[in-house]
Amino acid sequence: MRAVIFSWEYPPRVVGQLSGYVSALSTQLANSKVDVNVVTYDDSATDQTQEPSGVKTFRVANPVRTHIGVLTWVLTLNQEVERAAANIYYEENKQVDLIDVYDWHFIPAAVTLKSGLGIPFVYSVESLEDHRSPNANSSYSMAIKSIEWLGFFEAARISVKSEWMKDEVIKIYKVPKEKITVISTNPNSWIKEVLKLYNGVAEAKE
Amino acid sequence: MKDKLSVMMLSWEFPPRVIGGISPHIYFLSKHLAKQDVKVYVVTCDFPGAPAHEVIDGVEVYRIDSYKNPSPDFATWVYLMNMNMQKETAVLTRKIADKIDVFHAHDWLVANAGIGLKHVFRRPLLVTMHSTEMGRRDGLHTTTEKMIHETEAWLTYEAWKVICCSDYMISHVKYAFGLPSDKLVMVPNGVNIHCYDGDGDLKDFRSKFALPEEKIVLFVGRLVYEKGIHVLINAVPKILSKVDAKFIIVGSGYMKEQLLNIVRSMGLEHKVLFEGFMDEATLLKLQKCADVSVVPSLFEPFGIVALEAMAAQSPVVASDTGGLSEIIEHDVTGVKVYPNNPDSLAWGIAKVLLDENYAKSIKDNAYKRVQEKYDWEKIARQTKGIYEGVLGEYSKSFWA
Repeated sequence: MRAVIFSWEYPPRVVGQLSGYVSALSTQLANSKVDVNVVTYDDSATDQTQEPSGVKTFRVANPVRTHIGVLTWVLTLNQEVERAAANIYYEENKQVDLIDVYDWHFIPAAVTLKSGLGIPFVYSVESLEDHRSPNANSSYSMAIKSIEWLGFFEAARISVKSEWMKDEVIKIYKVPKEKITVISTNPNSWIKEVLKLYNGVAEAKE
Repeated sequence: MKDKLSVMMLSWEFPPRVIGGISPHIYFLSKHLAKQDVKVYVVTCDFPGAPAHEVIDGVEVYRIDSYKNPSPDFATWVYLMNMNMQKETAVLTRKIADKIDVFHAHDWLVANAGIGLKHVFRRPLLVTMHSTEMGRRDGLHTTTEKMIHETEAWLTYEAWKVICCSDYMISHVKYAFGLPSDKLVMVPNGVNIHCYDGDGDLKDFRSKFALPEEKIVLFVGRLVYEKGIHVLINAVPKILSKVDAKFIIVGSGYMKEQLLNIVRSMGLEHKVLFEGFMDEATLLKLQKCADVSVVPSLFEPFGIVALEAMAAQSPVVASDTGGLSEIIEHDVTGVKVYPNNPDSLAWGIAKVLLDENYAKSIKDNAYKRVQEKYDWEKIARQTKGIYEGVLGEYSKSFWA
């Protein structure tokens, strides 16, 4: 099993709690014999590294430095994420089972890689624009929501961390409930549930 | 490499969607590439009434959802549109049996899609830079302008070759993005002379715009600062003191009100007509009727309007700047005047209007020059040669 994980934060870059979560997840998956490749953002440390657990990290910087907001910043960063993921794909003889993408930032890259190379993706939801933004009906938030929608529409599976979030995704984006998996935070079953989810997606791959 | 070369063109406009000069450029380039046995796919933005897929003159045209979701501003819309364009082009590229050899992007408006597709499919990317943000804005002043400039720099960095349509643009793009010379190729823009072939008497048509004793001075372009229309307006009284003329201004833009006020304050509303945007059939006829066509631009990457006037056999007076300097050979194929100088412009226009023999000689020479140098078939052949050259280099790279 070879998985590529997209997250806009990963240690040492910590914005919120997603960074620590993705790090712990990657380590556990590597311990469970998954070939884990994390593609993330860093302003300068763009070398490829390998952690003691075996997790490989690929950090990309934004090719466009000046931006009018986080939305355009994210949209030009996506092509670098695509470049990093495509490099993994071609260097590993086109054997990538799935992409696991955290939140909306790198959904455009995941969708392109699915469309162009047939790599399915899991959309793992940490939070939604409707909950984050004080003004979720502004055109700015609506644009971000349209990217979230694209992710829900194109994803092979959706993973959430609570029944509440599952209900929110269904309510806001009209996603069929069969498409959503709730991953428990119980340390004993956590990784098993993620692996089960990954295996399901990899087996269903065309 | 396969027998038949195939190219995927990316452009934010293609007929019937016409915003600027890129749309006709892609149309003629694609059509003539197809005639030379190149398989051409064009992916472009949708347009009301135009089908999502059609074959035009041998060219496969795909129109994508250009992102009708709310966007906070134009630049953000461009990036979001690219997200859709990239996705839909990726689906298409994966589906078509004969693989795409090269991606060819036109301007920063499709930068993200072109760059992403290059890496996902590992095929070479070429770009044609029709203009630059630095040139359009005469410098970089706002955050948005800087962001667009850096996006252009990124696109030229990722491209295998950067095509520009004049020597002026080559040097401008080289300076603006710090590119090595061997990455830049000059291929001129073309003009379709046959659209002016129409026959018939234009006397009645002409009489809708000017009295028989009035000469027609024609300006075609957006009413924006870089096009120098204000220079022409300031030259109007100087010209009228020497020759009776009607000034016809075709096009629209943010300077319109300001220009109207100047004309009103000079009491010359009866001599200067603002026609706004004009349908193509009328414009073609008007270009043929013009006793002189004026291109007073301050910044001009190429200057297609001058070429159109030459094809329409109307004598051209243009400012000695940018691509215009190369198109016009002074006293041979037109008159060159000092940019941003109403006295010089008035002198050039009066010279053409007062000396019929001179006017005839420059317009005849200009028509010959257009046929020799700015012919689409020749331009398509040159472009095909660039594709082949790039593919030759690519075949030795580790991506191949």
